[in-house]
Amino acid sequence: MEVNPPKQEHLLALKGDLFNQLMRDDPSTVNGAEILMLGEMLTLPQNFGNIFLGETFSSYISVHNDSNQVVKDILVKADLQTSSQRLNLSASNAAVAELKPDCCIDDVIHHEVKEIGTHILVCAVSYTTQGGEKMYFRKFFKFQVLKPLDVKTKFYNAEVSTDEVFLEAQIQNITTSPMFMEKVSLEPSIMYNVAELNSVNQAGECVTTFGSRAYLQPMDTRQYLYCLKPKKEFAEKAGIIKGVTVIGKLDIVWKTNLGERGRLQTSQLQRMAPGYGDVRLSLEAIPDTVNLEEPFHITCKITNCSSERTMDLVLEMCNTNSIHWCGISGRQLGKLHPSSSLCLALTLLSSVQGLQSVSGLRLTDTFLKRTYEYDDIAQVCVVSSAIKVES
Amino acid sequence: MLVSPTVPLSRASCANRQNRKGGRRLQCGLDAEGAARSEDSDCSSELRGFRGDAVKDLMLRFLGEKAAAKRQVLTASSVEQSFVGLKQLISCKNWRAAVDLCGRLLTAHGQGYGKSGLPTSHTADSLQLWFVRLALLVKLGLFQNAEMEFEPFGNLDQPDLYYEYYPHVYPGRRGSMVPFSMRILHAELQQYLGNPQESLDRLHRVKAVCSKILANLEQGLAEDGTTSSIAQENRQASVQLWRSRLGRVTCSMANCLLLMKDYVLAVDAYRAVVQFHPEQEPQVLSCIGRIFLQQIGDIKAAEKYFQDVEKVTQKLDGLQGKTMVLMNRSFLHLGQNNFAEAHRFFTEILRVDPSNAVANNNAAVCLLYLGRLKDSLRQLEAMAQRDPRQHLHESVLFNLTTMYELESSRSLQKKQALLEAVASTESDCYNTHCLKLA
Repeated sequence: MEVNPPKQEHLLALKGDLFNQLMRDDPSTVNGAEILMLGEMLTLPQNFGNIFLGETFSSYISVHNDSNQVVKDILVKADLQTSSQRLNLSASNAAVAELKPDCCIDDVIHHEVKEIGTHILVCAVSYTTQGGEKMYFRKFFKFQVLKPLDVKTKFYNAEVSTDEVFLEAQIQNITTSPMFMEKVSLEPSIMYNVAELNSVNQAGECVTTFGSRAYLQPMDTRQYLYCLKPKKEFAEKAGIIKGVTVIGKLDIVWKTNLGERGRLQTSQLQRMAPGYGDVRLSLEAIPDTVNLEEPFHITCKITNCSSERTMDLVLEMCNTNSIHWCGISGRQLGKLHPSSSLCLALTLLSSVQGLQSVSGLRLTDTFLKRTYEYDDIAQVCVVSSAIKVES
Repeated sequence: MLVSPTVPLSRASCANRQNRKGGRRLQCGLDAEGAARSEDSDCSSELRGFRGDAVKDLMLRFLGEKAAAKRQVLTASSVEQSFVGLKQLISCKNWRAAVDLCGRLLTAHGQGYGKSGLPTSHTADSLQLWFVRLALLVKLGLFQNAEMEFEPFGNLDQPDLYYEYYPHVYPGRRGSMVPFSMRILHAELQQYLGNPQESLDRLHRVKAVCSKILANLEQGLAEDGTTSSIAQENRQASVQLWRSRLGRVTCSMANCLLLMKDYVLAVDAYRAVVQFHPEQEPQVLSCIGRIFLQQIGDIKAAEKYFQDVEKVTQKLDGLQGKTMVLMNRSFLHLGQNNFAEAHRFFTEILRVDPSNAVANNNAAVCLLYLGRLKDSLRQLEAMAQRDPRQHLHESVLFNLTTMYELESSRSLQKKQALLEAVASTESDCYNTHCLKLA
């Protein structure tokens, strides 16, 4: 490609400039930057389009007098019929006294959609003709409400200080257009305090962890993370709670094109407490990273979860391929009263590099002669001593 | 008495100017003889005639023969058979006639109807004619026709498209005869045919060459990398030219990415455009802000960009800056459902710039959302009557006909009146779908 010496007059006349002039004359282009493609002219929607749960359904209802007579006592009612209920949507329930020929009664109705499935907008009009005859007719407009988001939740128990529970919420955009997540928050139940882990503090500013992808394209998924800590008054019980506990619910607010807002709340999320049996072993302290073949310390907490029995426990440590315990195995831990706990410091080392799982603790209840096995209680990263690890 | 069908007030959309459906088959007047295409690189393209006036056809159906007979449009025969005549046809929006005239002029050049398969000679002029014809085909939405006619040109780098191929006609001249805009058109066409990735690939190739040429110039060489002795002001002019071409191709890429809905990349590309065209910074920033607002729904990000626009336009005087700021504010209010406020700002623009069709149209749409159908209609009708040539834009017509249908089931009459208004503009390239006369 080379330069054309720009000297021919008639060429210039046709080149670019003519078309540029056309673009400038076109009222819908951007003044001064006609090449930009984004339009500024609003066009009205032609049909209901897709309506999603949580959005606001708006409609313009117009009753027009097509005849050449004045009509009296017009009552317009707009109802929304779903599979489960019938809602009245009209702003005013009063009848209009009279409607002249070629005039119309207009109403704009809004309704936040709260159900999925078939919805029918029923418009009923009753009026009296000039001759005194009472007339009545109805019109139906059907539309579907679809699900906009797919929400999956997963619970993780914290390895250390097992009071904390982590909730991962995966939110997927199952509509056909991009979605901007304005706010996703977890409203905890009365038992928990919640900390959201979806933004970090960078130089004093709150920056989201999602980077430059500020929005969700269709079929994209995002993961939100929350940390739940039981409140003090419930903390003691948390270790011994069995069964189902209510964690809280997710509140999601999103925006789609031109700022169309949608809002959804999940139902109360429930968590099945992990079964601990009568004796629970949890970790109070463990380092993240340790050196290969160097002993390190952990602190365990052993809780007697029963309500009546005092326990006499014996601790045994079994080695695995990678984990080697240091100390005395098979010692008695002393009496442990119901609903109380004791802390134990243990030493171990790993002979294999990489992410290793701490396993091999056995607690035996001497009275019932029952042994509880504790494997994979935590993970630790083992690195070669060439890399300095801060102790 | 009737209840007219409700107009669902899901979001009014902003038509992207690219959202035209591709390849509408058009009534062909004169068929080119079906000559086989030669494998040889230098051969002319097949031409088809483009007669036919969709508006006149509608007039025949809905307004009767008498009214249709009064329809005046310029045809290829009613103007001087030269570039002058061509300019005339184009500026009064008789693009189909212009396409026809291009065909005739090209035939006079030895290329054209029925000449496909014969060896030919291009000149700079004939390529200009080809470019005009192809650009008009694209503007008319006839993308498949344009693609067909582009085919024999290959990737626009065949030997017979270079000055060196015709040493008798252009002694001593070197380089490509293909107009730069034609290369851009060749690349952009693909996105209208549903292949945006191909568009991007072609645009990247153009961009790479522009960058290389600029690098050569900045190192003191000639554009093609050879040593040269260009005078300083010629070198400056050349650098200027190639920088602006680089800007043009970057903008094309941004538009393509926008069409592909890759907003992150599109925004990056638009920002790059500002480097080449700093005088367009406020428009581009506004555009980016509106992408966040309209396409994504991120109002906060949009606000930030609009604030930047305000900072930049403060230093400008004149209408344009003020209008831009007001337009952005109105859109912000739209995005927050404040139709009353949005209407106020659009009206404010009209006070400052009464002929602003966008503000007029959008103010009317706001009125509809506020429940004031009659007022909305009055505003749009006044706008359409005021200056049909300027203001009978497709979106405006579309909104008008939608509102007529909302108002009453007797909308046909009013639509016919619109048809008459359209007919009086004497343009032959209306997209009559917007009239919704089935």
